[in-house]
This record gives sequence, structure tokens and C-alpha cells, in this order.
Amino acid sequence: MFCVDRRFFMNFDWVLLSLLFMVCGMAFLNLYSATYPPLGGVPPYLKQCYLLLMGVAGIIFLISFDYKELQLWNYPIYIVVIVLLVLVDFVGNSAGGAQRWINLGFFQLQPSEPAKLMMVITLASYYSRKEVANGYSIQDLITPIILMAVPFLLILVQPDLGTALMFVIIFISMTVFAKLRLSSYIILGLSGIALAVLGWLFVLKPYQKQRVETLLHPVKDSMGEGYQILQSKIAVGSGGLFGRGYMEGTQGHLHFLPERHTDFAFSVWCEEWGFVGSFFFLAVYFFMLFWGLHVAMSARDRFGLFLAFGVVALIFWQAVINLLMILGFLPVVGIPLPLFSYGGSSLLTTLLGMGILMNVRMRRFQTESTLESCDL
Amino acid sequence: MIKWNFLKELGDISEHDQAAQDGLRKRILVTGAVVVFFVAIILLRLWFLQIHKGEEYKNRAENNRVRIREVAPPRGDILDRNGKELVTNRPSFNVVLVREDSNDIDGLLKRLSVVLKEDVSVLWERIRDAESKQRHIPVRLKENLSWDTLAYLETHNKDFPGIRIEVFPRRFYHYGDMAAHIIGYLGEISKNELEETNTDFYRGGDLIGKMGLEKLREKELRGEKGNSSSEVNARGFEQQLLTHVEPVPGNEVRLTLDIDLQQVAEEAMDVDEKSGAVVAMEVKTGRLLVLASTPRLHLADFEGGISSKNWSALLDNPKHPLINKALQAMYPPGSTYKMVTALAGLAKGVITKDTTFFCPGHIDFGNRQYNCWKHGGHGTVNLKRAISESCDVYFYQVGMRLGVDALAEYANKLGLGLKTQVELENEKSGLIPTKEWKKKKYGVKWQDGETLSLAIGQGFNLVTPLQLCQMTVILANGGKRYVPQLIESVTDADGNVLESFTPKLAGELQENERKYLALIREGMAEVIQGARGTARVARIEGINLGGKTGSAQVVRLEQYKHLQEENIPYKYRDHALFICFAPAEDPEIAVTVVVEHGLHGGSSAAPVARAVMQKYFANRIAVDQIRKAVTQ
Repeated sequence: MFCVDRRFFMNFDWVLLSLLFMVCGMAFLNLYSATYPPLGGVPPYLKQCYLLLMGVAGIIFLISFDYKELQLWNYPIYIVVIVLLVLVDFVGNSAGGAQRWINLGFFQLQPSEPAKLMMVITLASYYSRKEVANGYSIQDLITPIILMAVPFLLILVQPDLGTALMFVIIFISMTVFAKLRLSSYIILGLSGIALAVLGWLFVLKPYQKQRVETLLHPVKDSMGEGYQILQSKIAVGSGGLFGRGYMEGTQGHLHFLPERHTDFAFSVWCEEWGFVGSFFFLAVYFFMLFWGLHVAMSARDRFGLFLAFGVVALIFWQAVINLLMILGFLPVVGIPLPLFSYGGSSLLTTLLGMGILMNVRMRRFQTESTLESCDL
Repeated sequence: MIKWNFLKELGDISEHDQAAQDGLRKRILVTGAVVVFFVAIILLRLWFLQIHKGEEYKNRAENNRVRIREVAPPRGDILDRNGKELVTNRPSFNVVLVREDSNDIDGLLKRLSVVLKEDVSVLWERIRDAESKQRHIPVRLKENLSWDTLAYLETHNKDFPGIRIEVFPRRFYHYGDMAAHIIGYLGEISKNELEETNTDFYRGGDLIGKMGLEKLREKELRGEKGNSSSEVNARGFEQQLLTHVEPVPGNEVRLTLDIDLQQVAEEAMDVDEKSGAVVAMEVKTGRLLVLASTPRLHLADFEGGISSKNWSALLDNPKHPLINKALQAMYPPGSTYKMVTALAGLAKGVITKDTTFFCPGHIDFGNRQYNCWKHGGHGTVNLKRAISESCDVYFYQVGMRLGVDALAEYANKLGLGLKTQVELENEKSGLIPTKEWKKKKYGVKWQDGETLSLAIGQGFNLVTPLQLCQMTVILANGGKRYVPQLIESVTDADGNVLESFTPKLAGELQENERKYLALIREGMAEVIQGARGTARVARIEGINLGGKTGSAQVVRLEQYKHLQEENIPYKYRDHALFICFAPAEDPEIAVTVVVEHGLHGGSSAAPVARAVMQKYFANRIAVDQIRKAVTQ
């Protein structure tokens, strides 16, 4: 399988690796502060170390073969993930009334995370295989809609509305990117609005509606729903220009910030490093995403381009939603900041996505013939 | 090498592919613009929060860290006149769960349900009710733990992560529900009350007096809040105490009530589950010794908000426990009103001490016959006998000669038809009709026949038991109308007396009126001591009482006329009234009893009054008996 020669090192995406290294480094630094003092058991930063090592192993595995293989393995992967999602509804551990995890002993697997990456691979595979000249008609979209709807519904019943909506967002991003006919836009748009209205009326639970309403009046209920958002804004704002100093943030260390090492990890960063530190982090982070788009542009073929684009879209939308939530523009939806929020499944999934990007980048010049000649 | 790859690539990819790829690449550039757009929004927001509003949020973070916690003051005690504790405070302990601190709520609740002897589903219900609240906010699982449970949870707290004990002050009622209407109860402050009070004192969730003296004396009882500022985290763990200001306890309120007497009165009313009121007053001061209304309220039901089930049970109860019948209910005074007619007759010169009328058992007036309660008639009666035997015909004659307005004048002079100004809520003023009143109210002229009914206490007349007691006090003390009072003293925590009882005179009879009171008192003494008195059952050996019975018609229904009294439906039976004072020679105490639908003052109301009197004079009676025994 391995094809280790000079080209491997020459074509390897060192830029992406160093950007990834910087982001993970800052995440680790922040995690140490956000979880200090440790509550007992294995401290989270140590767990993060193990997870990073596992992620590196995953990346090495992913770049060892041509990404074209993913297209072959697409449906087996899809089925495995769906089985995991079904399983989680029966043997999953519940937290806060929702079944989200499968306990693997050393690790709590949240199948909805790898499912997001699976979705990217599946859609990339479909759109690269089915190519049309003037954009996709609505008939062409039936298959991808079904492929998206199955995991969407399975995650919706857990219930985890935020993660389920990510599937819709990925679907929309990649489908629009693939180009639609005007009629498809209109039909999809109208049915989307209809579904959203029906969902608000019949599917959303009262606490979810309340979250949306809280966003509109956060101060009114400062010990209830609006509490997290308010505390997050206080944390971010109190950072000022230069921050309160590493390990000095009172919002995080005195436990005013809930979920401070997971969903609200970036609030802790903003508090301790200020505008300057936040700007630096965002610059590195979004440069990494731009680099991902660059990878997509330089991709060898249509599948690679869609894959790279999908991975970037997946990380980008999660990041934007998480950041807008932390800054008080969106309700608390439980979407992490990829690579930065603590959470094994999300971290591993994002690292695997990075592995896919690197794979696409590495093989931007290769053709199947060269691959075969090399694949001993 | 690179060049080689590049050439290879060009050779492999078709022209068409190339064109499609280029289309997609253009779209990637658009995507880049979308990313830039969102990055710009995020950076602008960061700038707004951190630079523009940075100082403000820094202050808020500082305030977050230093949390000022209010320390509730102990509420003032309520004592009776002899210093017996009626209401004091005691701590109660609640179990609360902080969901964020527990990773296995299911298992925790299962273990907890055994300790609390509470079904798991009940505990889950509490948690589900708080589902919409954030996970760091404590959820109350059970209130008012027993000592055993508390001790177990405290010693095994390691087994119950996320469980905490909350201390909460509770009112403790030493005499159960005695004097419940007067003491009143506490409840969580409502939104309206928060807006109305318009002070900085109260916060949502505070307790405030909702009824009775707890409400009226709220300002004195509540005390002043203290505060402590400490560095805390959001879980409520105090890291470090910074400042502490002790709360000022509420003032102690001592009532004029004698709880032992109150208890005797209420227990006497409990016999046969009588519904009604008992009032006892000091004749020479206006101090209220007993103010009872039955059925009683159960104060414990009101704590922490009354359940809708209990509330609707109270509303639906035909005996109206929510009403303090001593001052919020009005009854026709019945024969007790004959005191008014007698005094008015004497004072206006219509009759003298020796005026007699012949009672054949009825009197014809207009085209109607007005009956005496004694069908055979009383024969020739003077005032004293008319009072003691409650002859209706005698008072028809007097009333006929006086007219309605003269009766009303003296009713008012004896306090009827006027609020007594007692310190309790929703006092009713009663109703004493005049010619003018009827014209205004019904637009009809006063009928002289109505005056006859009025003279014996039937008709439009309505009075409260408290007014009747005040009237008895005026008759007994020689004409002084004292405001009935409930507060003996108010003392602050340092022992300074802030308020102490002084009699308040609301009015006094003229000398030419006062001189007739002794005669009326003699008549009233005959009611009890006389051989044919109507309330001979109230006699107490060693103490002479003066009194008057009354029964107030509820409805005049022909269909019930022929029935035995016991067979009349409860709600159509007459109210029983009894007023009395003692000792007859130099009165000290006046007692009024109203038993709703009790039929006869003598049989149902008088024994209650007798029990109160007996308790009040218990020592003197005992001393008397010893003296007698010794002399024999």
C-alpha cells in the first residue's frame, strides 16, 4: 500500500500541517486553562493528547492511499455509520435527556460526528459521478436528499437538533456548489420553508423554542436560558484588547461560564488573550480554511475538488455557528468549534477531514496510472 | 519531476472535464467571498465586545466574581398577652439537586428515593418541571426533611454527588391553627406585590405576609436584611468571604389575645362543628382577648403556596372557612338588638323603668299581626322582665313609639353600623337602616310596620359579632366605646418597646343616657340568674353574668314553619346569638358568640360563652370554692 518516495515529502502539504499544528497547540493551551484545576480522574488535557495521537495515526492512515478509494468504499462507510446511529438510540448513554454516545470503554463515541464526514464523502462521490451540463434538476437531487435525510432523522430523534441541522447545511452548501437549475432552487427553497414552519409548529420541543426566544431577550432571564449567552459575552468582552492573562480569566476559573471547555472554549480564549489573541487565533484558523479552499482549487479531479470543498464547508459552518453563538448572535445549539472545543469524536472527525485535505493536496498531480505504478 | 507530473496530468484530463473544473473553481472564489463576509462579521463583533464595550464587560465580570448575597433576617415572633409563643421560626431543610454536578441522575434518584421514601417518578417530575432551566440551577426535590433523613444525607454526602441541602426558615405555629385568621400566613411575593411595595427590600422568591397580622404588621415583623459579599463561583461555592453585615431580626409582636381563652373558645365551637365566631373583650380597655372564627384555616396548607385542590375545597366549603366571621360576616342581631330599643326608649322618654305593656302573645299593627315568640303571651311586663324573658310585644310597643330613625341613632351610639376600626382586613360595617337609607336604596317610603320588626332585631339590620361585642362592652362599662385592639406591644430585638397598648376611645354616651345602663344590665343579669331567664344554661357558680340571647331569622319560609326545628335544612335554620358580660356587679369581660344556623342563642351559643367565662374566672372560682369549703 505504501508508496514512500521523495514525492511523498515534496508534495506533502506542509503548510496545512503547520497551520493544523498551531490551531491544535492553541486549543491544548486553552483546554489546560479551562479545566484547571482538574476535578480528578484522567485530566482532559491528557485525554486530548491521546486523542491527538490517535488523530495523527488516522491522518497517516488516510494519506496512505489515494482518496479515489474513498469513492469505492463510500457505501460501506455509509452503512456502517447508519448502523452506529441506529445503535446509539438503543444502547447509547443518555445525557441531558438525549441519547448521543456509544461507550467503547476507552472512549465515548458520538456517531453523529463521523456521520458528518461520511455525509461529505457521500455527497462528493455522488456529485462527482453524476455530472450534468446545466445544473441538477430536482430528479437528480432525490438520491442525495434521501442519503442526507436518513442520518438527519436518526440524529433528530436523539434528540440533537443542532447536529441534525448541520447535515442540512452541508447538503445545501455542497448542492449549491454543484450548481442547480433555477427550478430546483425554487422547489427546494419553498419546500424548505414549508418544512421549517411545520417543524417549528410540531417538532421543536418547548425548550428549543425557548432558546430561540431567549436569543431575542437574553437579559430578561439572566439566571435561566439567557445565562450562558450573557456569561459568554461578559467573558469575551472583559478580555479587552490584551486579555486578562493566561490562567487569569475569572469567568472561566470561577465557573461562571458553563461548558467552558467544550462549546464555550473560545470564550475562555477571548477572556484570557483579548482582542489581539482572538484576532491571531481567527487569522490562523481562517487562513487554514482558505488553504483548504486552495486545496480544492488545485484538486486533480472533480471528486477531489468536492471532497476538499465539503471538508472545508463542514469545518467552516460549525466554526461560524459556534463563534456567532459565543458572541451572542445565535441561540445555544451545541455545535463545537472544530479542533478547539474539547470532545473526542469531533476532534477525531475533524482530523480525519484534515487527512482527506492533505490527501487531495498530495495527489494533485498524480493520475491513476502513476498511482498504480507506485502502488506495489 | 514536477514538470513530468504536470504534463502527465494535462494528457489525462479531457477538455470537457477541464471546463467543468474551471466552473467549479470560479465557484470556489465565490465561496471565498462568503468566508470573508463571515470573518468580517465575527471580527467586527469581537471588536465591539472587547474594545468598544470592553470596560463595561470588565466591570460586569468583576461584579460576577464578587457576589452579594442577601441574608434573610429572622422574622419577628408573635406572642400572646402572657408571653406565650404563638408563632416563631425554625429552620427547615430541603434537598436540592444541581444537575450539572451529577453524571448519573438516574442512579442518583433511585438511591435518593429510598432515603427520602419518595417515589422515583415524583422526583423525576420535579426535574422535568425544571427541564427548561439551566443545568447549574438547583432543583428542589423535597422540602422539610426529617432529622433522620437530614443526618443520613449529611453523613453520606459522598454517595450523592450533585445533592445539596438548602436551609430555609419556616414559620412554626405553636398552637396549630388557633387564631389562624388573625395571625394569617406567609407566601411567596407575587409580581403585583413586588410592583406595589415599591421598595428595594423585596426580591422575587421572598416571603411576605399574605393575610392577617402577618400582612398588616409585615413591616415590623420582617426585620432588615443583612448581606455578605464573597467571592463565589457560579456553582454557588463561596471561595472567600469579603464582607458581612448581620441582618436585623424582625420585631416581636405581643398580642392582647389570651391564647388559653382563645383555645377554649375554639374548642367549644368545635363541638358539633359549629360555624361562627367568638369575640371576647376587656370591658374597661377594649383589649381583644378572643377573636375566633370557625371553621379554622389550616395554616400549613398555605405554606409555599396553597394547592389548587385545597383552595377550591376552601371556596366550595358551605361554612366559608376563608371568611373571618367575627368581622367579615354580617348577621341580623335578633333579640340582642333589644338592648338598643331599650336604651333608646329610656333615653327618649318613651318609657320609664316602670312602664308596663300587656303582652297577649301578639300585636296587631296595620293589617298584620306581629307575634311574640311566646304564643300564650307574657301578660303584663315591665322593662326588666321584658329583657329577661325577651318579650317581643313589649319592644314592638317601644319601637312603634320611637320610630326607625331614633332606633338608628342609638344603634350607632352603641357602635352598630359603624366599623370598629379593629386592625384587621376587610371589616364590614354592618347595616342600620333609616328612612332616608330606604328611600335611597329602594326608592320606597319606610313602612311603620318595618319599625316593629326592627325593634326586635329582624328586618334590614345587619351586624358583625365584633360590633355586638363592642355594644356589650359599652353597656357593661357605662357608656365608653373603645376601639377593639389586638396589639399589646411591639418590641425590637434590643428590647426597646416601640409601641404599647393604650385604650382608644371612639365615643361616649351622654350622662342622661349613661344613667339607664345600670337598669339594662339588671335586666341582662336576670336573663341568666332569673327563674324564667332565657339563658339560665350560662350560669356559673360563683360568678354572676349578665347577657342576652338572640336568634336571627335566616329566611321566612312558610313551608318550614310546621317542621320540627331539627328537620329544617341546615342552611335555613336560624342563627344563634349570645352576648354577655361578667361579673354583673362590676364587669371586666364581655363575650359574644354567634353560631350560624345554631337555632337558639340559649342552647347553642350560650354554652360556648359560658366555657370562655369559666376559663377566664377559673382562679377566682377556685379561690371562692376553697373559701366556702374552709368556712363550712
